[in-house]
Amino acid sequence: MAFINYSSREIQLKIVYYGAAMCGKTTNLMTLHKQVTHAQKGDLVSLATDADRTLFFDFLSLNTKTLPGFTTRFQLYTVPGQSIYNTTRQLVLKGVDGIIFVADSHWERMADNVESFSNLQENLVENHLSLVQIPYVLQYNKRDIPNAAPVNYLEFTFNNRANRAMAFEAVAATGVGVLETLNACARLLLAKYSKNPNSNVAGVSQTGSVVPTSAGPTGARQSAVA
Amino acid sequence: MLTAEDQMAIESQLADFLKKSEAQWSALVDKGGNLFAQSGNTGGLDLSILSALAAGSFAATHELARRLGESEFTALYHEGHGQHILMSALKFECLLVTVFGDKTNIGLVRFYAQQATGALDGHLHKARENERRVGHLSLEGDFLNDTAAIS
Repeated sequence: MAFINYSSREIQLKIVYYGAAMCGKTTNLMTLHKQVTHAQKGDLVSLATDADRTLFFDFLSLNTKTLPGFTTRFQLYTVPGQSIYNTTRQLVLKGVDGIIFVADSHWERMADNVESFSNLQENLVENHLSLVQIPYVLQYNKRDIPNAAPVNYLEFTFNNRANRAMAFEAVAATGVGVLETLNACARLLLAKYSKNPNSNVAGVSQTGSVVPTSAGPTGARQSAVA
Repeated sequence: MLTAEDQMAIESQLADFLKKSEAQWSALVDKGGNLFAQSGNTGGLDLSILSALAAGSFAATHELARRLGESEFTALYHEGHGQHILMSALKFECLLVTVFGDKTNIGLVRFYAQQATGALDGHLHKARENERRVGHLSLEGDFLNDTAAIS
């Protein structure tokens, strides 16, 4: 849940990167740590095993001046993707404001992606939350691999619903689509504080239509709210 | 949500606790890892990271307690060579995190931490009431179209 401090004029927002094992969640944070230059950023903290697999979470804090009169502190977390760490994923989701679901574009990882998306919804229920309340964005990662699943297949699998989420193609290892994905999620969170909030934003209203916009500068595919 | 009044009252409570316990730094952190208020000196440590790790550590211990059949471990203590940390559970999904050195001892810190948690719970209850009264924050602007919120 967002924390607003009127004394220090600061808003803290928690964004969690969720997805199957090895889909690129930690790589997203590592790339952001390199790519973000204007926002004030902290160290990237990784609680990982000796084999660089996430054990608890990765953490990166970014301070921006995006809302008038307030400093916005985005606290970015990843969850461990391996199935044995489900309890840990539930703990990391505590107090979440926005979610970025990272799907691996490998055909052979599709079942893992689907299981992870389903697991996300179950774990949100454990935290008394749901995707209807929490703004979320989809990222189709590893688009540079030769046998990547087509985007329309991924859209059908993960975004086939009345209120479609924004979806971005990405290659997290090279930086393509990484900042765009985070900015989309950040905008959805910030829009909750607008005097005229868009009714399509999750947590503002559960009804409304989806208006697709044109592709972003990096070729990102968006099915965005207007 | 904390108003300026809430913030001042909580920081004053933390400062009083530090003075009595002779601890080095103390903070009110929520179980999601947000830093609400702090007092004392950590010598330039990144407080966001400290808060996130403290909340994560406490959450893991809480889950361990639950699996052992305990309703909750109310406090968690890590002992180092020169620096130690005590985390105490508060109401309203919050924690009191205290860092202290060899100038004091765990008994003294824990004694005053127990007193401070009662007072802090009172401030948090008041802050919760204020939150209901103040309502939702709304600002001028359509932030959906800010294409580079983070750059």
